[in-house]
Amino acid sequence: MCGRSAIAAGRRAAAALAAAALVLPLAGCGVGPGKSAASAQLVITQDFGAHPLAQLTNPKVGGADTVMRFLERNADVTTRYGGGYVQSIAGRSGGTRDGRPVDWFFYVNGILASKGAASTRLRDGAVIWWDRHDWTATQDVPAVVGSFPEPFIHGIAGRRLPTRLECIAPGSAGCEAVQKHLTDAGILAPEGGLQSSLAKETLRVLVGPYRALRADGAVRQLERGPQASGVYARPSRDGAAIATLDADGRTVRRLRAGTGLVAATRFEGGQPVWIVTGTDEAGVAAAASALDEGNLKNRFAVAVSDGRAIPLPQDAP
Amino acid sequence: MTYRSVASPLHAARAGAGAAYCLALGAAGLVFQHPLVLGALAVALLAAAAACGVGGALVGVLRLAVPLALLVIVVNALVSRNGLTVLLRLGELGPLGQVDVTLEALVTGAVMALRVVVVVLAGALFAAVVDPDALLRLFRRVSFRSALTAVLATRLVSVLARDARRLDDARRCRPPGALPGRLTVLRAVTTGALDRAVDVAATLEVRGYGAHGPWPGSAREPWSRHDLAIAAAAAAVVALTVAARLAGIASFAADQRLVVPAGTRELALAAALVAVALAPLADRRGIAR
Repeated sequence: MCGRSAIAAGRRAAAALAAAALVLPLAGCGVGPGKSAASAQLVITQDFGAHPLAQLTNPKVGGADTVMRFLERNADVTTRYGGGYVQSIAGRSGGTRDGRPVDWFFYVNGILASKGAASTRLRDGAVIWWDRHDWTATQDVPAVVGSFPEPFIHGIAGRRLPTRLECIAPGSAGCEAVQKHLTDAGILAPEGGLQSSLAKETLRVLVGPYRALRADGAVRQLERGPQASGVYARPSRDGAAIATLDADGRTVRRLRAGTGLVAATRFEGGQPVWIVTGTDEAGVAAAASALDEGNLKNRFAVAVSDGRAIPLPQDAP
Repeated sequence: MTYRSVASPLHAARAGAGAAYCLALGAAGLVFQHPLVLGALAVALLAAAAACGVGGALVGVLRLAVPLALLVIVVNALVSRNGLTVLLRLGELGPLGQVDVTLEALVTGAVMALRVVVVVLAGALFAAVVDPDALLRLFRRVSFRSALTAVLATRLVSVLARDARRLDDARRCRPPGALPGRLTVLRAVTTGALDRAVDVAATLEVRGYGAHGPWPGSAREPWSRHDLAIAAAAAAVVALTVAARLAGIASFAADQRLVVPAGTRELALAAALVAVALAPLADRRGIAR
């Protein structure tokens, strides 16, 4: 009796293993390192992108790497908790610096990772940006502009999402300027009015003066500062001024007429929203002119005043 | 696994020396991570057990330790995120997230498993060759009650195991329809343990435990050749361990890539550990047969 039941149990186990061997390859599993991600980039900076440590456009990739292994192949890294948490990169550790909390955060195509680096698969064309910064003001900067033209080109988690350009005044100079910059970057973005997009799985680029644009909830949260929006700028309710903030969330300068802002954020768990706005039409035009890789590279957000791009957060005087 | 008096150098040595010997080998297993050195320690423990006539008992313990060691290897391979050499990609596994089995994680798990085996073997050798009564006499100067409790608990484990076997035999003699479950047996053994504890307390009281002042000290015996040899072996193992760590010999790293040096120094250390552990067991003069 015992022998027959053991044989039956053995047969069931063998059948389960055979089924797993057939199914697992379909679930993205397999033997060996797997296929490498192509054209990935690695950026390592400190202090919200202000101090670059490494910018690798042709980094080493070994098979179907995770973000963690990708980083370990290309930088001097120490980890904790069984390799799941980055403790230091190039000798710079997380912890405290001058009594302030600092840690390493990573962004995939300009979006703060929702999973650990060891659990995030490296995809083709991904821009992996590691930044060590003071997180006193907020731990949650959900999206950044410094990886432009990502996430519009390669999307999120290997899924390219449609992009929609939503303008307060479709056809206006600011709107057309943004459209041109997006097109030049290879981004196809149909134009429409504000909040005209019905699809949730869409990347939105909102363009217009702040006073009108704040009708959108994602834009309005900028008024509550980095704790709410992750953007180190605080427009006034009437849109007449944009305050630039330092890493602590304190006001550095209050910029008025002709000031623009290019920032990215998320709202209520939705997809990232890019905001190209200003105190007035001149400010919107200034912001639109800054919408390129040269001005946005390795920046969390950018204010534009007197023809100059100001990286945010701004250094305290 | 209980102590049984056998004619061997470890059995002939005093309890303190024997305990130090086993402890030194077990501690070395916790200090080192190099697989060659851990393997040498395991070999030394098994060879020492064989030389002392308790090899069969240690092999029996090894049969229990090996499944635990395999479990350590499997769990580490699944949860560790270390290593750059991917052998197997298992995809998303629920709460474990993205699971890739790397060579470095497998080797680290194997090293941890080997450490478990070394520590278990050291503990088993300790239980087999160190007289618990002699150990009690050694510790009663420090903490008599704690030592007494530890020794009695060790002795009572086998007593309770025999009780459980007798109760299970009685259970199986019952008619099929009226067969009580194993939980009933467990309850009976637990109740029996309390009865046993009361019996032991009564026995201790009859022997005068707690009735008089501090236990009178017994005359100290001089150190025999086996005491000195075993104690020296323990000291030598500790010295080798400390010296190797300070000199950076037998290092091991597997965070990203495997770094397992296997040069002359590591081989010499492994050989030295085996030699100093087994050397005192070659002298069998003066051992009662």
